[in-house]
Amino acid sequence: MTDTIEIHALHKRYGRNVAVQQLDLRVRPGTVFGLIGPNGAGKTTTLRTLVDIIRPSSGSVRVLGDDPRHGGPGLRRRIGYVPGELHLEGRASGHRLLAFYAEVSGRAGGTASVLRTARELADRLGVDLDRPVRTLSKGNKQKVGLIQAFMHRPELLILDEPTSGLDPLVQREFLTMVREARDAGQTVLLSSHVLSEIQQTADEVAVLANGRIVADGDVASLRLGSMRRVRVRIGGTDAAAVRAAFERVPGIEGVDAAPAPGGADADGIRLSATIEGAIDPFVKALAQYDVHELTVEEPDLEESVLRLYGDSSSSAGGRS
Amino acid sequence: MTSILPVFRRSIRESWRSLLGWTIGIAAVLFLYLPLYPSIGASDQMTQLIDSLPKQLVDTLGYDQIASGAGYTEATFFGLMGFLLLTIAAVLWGSSLAAAEESGRAELDLAHGIGRGQYALETALSVLIRMLWLGAFAGLVIWSLNGPAELALDPARIVGASAALVGLAFLTAGAALLAGAATGRRAWATGVGAGIAVLGYILQALAKQSSDLEWLNAVSPYSWVFRQSPLSEGVDAGGLALTWGVGLALAAASALAFRARDLRG
Repeated sequence: MTDTIEIHALHKRYGRNVAVQQLDLRVRPGTVFGLIGPNGAGKTTTLRTLVDIIRPSSGSVRVLGDDPRHGGPGLRRRIGYVPGELHLEGRASGHRLLAFYAEVSGRAGGTASVLRTARELADRLGVDLDRPVRTLSKGNKQKVGLIQAFMHRPELLILDEPTSGLDPLVQREFLTMVREARDAGQTVLLSSHVLSEIQQTADEVAVLANGRIVADGDVASLRLGSMRRVRVRIGGTDAAAVRAAFERVPGIEGVDAAPAPGGADADGIRLSATIEGAIDPFVKALAQYDVHELTVEEPDLEESVLRLYGDSSSSAGGRS
Repeated sequence: MTSILPVFRRSIRESWRSLLGWTIGIAAVLFLYLPLYPSIGASDQMTQLIDSLPKQLVDTLGYDQIASGAGYTEATFFGLMGFLLLTIAAVLWGSSLAAAEESGRAELDLAHGIGRGQYALETALSVLIRMLWLGAFAGLVIWSLNGPAELALDPARIVGASAALVGLAFLTAGAALLAGAATGRRAWATGVGAGIAVLGYILQALAKQSSDLEWLNAVSPYSWVFRQSPLSEGVDAGGLALTWGVGLALAAASALAFRARDLRG
């Protein structure tokens, strides 16, 4: 069985700017594939080549067994696509807009059932399709964008930052829709710069940085979620001793300890560091001190990608 | 497999209100100018006034034949206000392809089951049909005012003059479409469309000034259709065919240009 998406050595240049280089990607049928990476990493460029909005400078792309360049409208009817920047305008209502796309992308004679699905999705996501689309808020426009991609139950869903502008409740509904699509045998390729979104849905992930894939595999193996930044204020006066003590903790990096600026409720030592891997050794080490303040936070995805894969992305080859 | 001309039908559905506005505008111009012919164009005072004006100015405005109904209708509508209105409409509508791309609408549309060439051609067809409507409507109004305003026009020549006007405007729209299809920039589409129309007008005006400049008529689409008066002498069939041919060729070329490149994001 062939893969739903096969990208081989994809290269895309804009003038002297390289957006994507030597990109290989395979998406198996019936799976959810997450493409993550910082803004400008090449996610949108990659996804656009799959629907023939842009053409590769070199390399080969096959979608559902066809070259997008030659598959034409027939191939794109089998794909649902949400663009990275969705702009809906005009006085047409949501119903009108969806009826148009149902007409051009629905199966012969299936327009009525496509529109029935669209209405169901609109109810689930909570968007009023009677209103002119240009009067909708950004989040509601995005919902219409999702509906036009899902409503004709395409074999392949290509979703570029699909949850941007959606509130958390709707995001959860969207993730349910993605799982349902997979359960129905549809294949989903989605991009995001929000790690949790990918963690909750994707079977497989590729991390993009500077136009290259710097890591791929299943979500857990990428270690992306394992980095924490900690900030504490503890009792004591000898900052150098504290630093030395914490530098022995496994997985710790960038330890910075300094006397707190002082004052009645801010004395002691401020310490900040990043920890990769288990947090337990750090907690155990911390337990020996009087802890006044403690913050543990996940760095954003951009930071994780750049920290973990920044080195490999600048060297040739690029895989970690 | 799918329905017929979906993009064309959507375009008409979304633009009929605006088309109604253009239609009213053309009616207003015609009802304002043509009924005044008996008191202005055909009056002795007007003839004396025209005679006292510099010949170059009179030639440029096309007022040399203003004493006849045909000359008056051409000077006021086909050569001036009608030309202006249809040219503006042509530039605006011709840049709609580039506008759809700039707004991001084309990206969503073309990710669906619509071909690039189909998209451009149906957009061009929508422009053409709207142009034809405006031309036919103008012709009808002129025909209906023919008797009351004592214009004494040959009805067949009204058809010819309308076809000339629409052909000229569609050539402008075709240029705008092609520029938009090739660049994806609305500014280019508008600029090229307006540039072609203005240049054609200026060249024919210059060509009237001296026999040394008459060759400029050969490169002015305006001259192709209007140099030989379509209302008093009948439209120049060769010029008419050339204008329509170039307009249609530009529209076809825009489909090829649109297929050949990346869309702008």
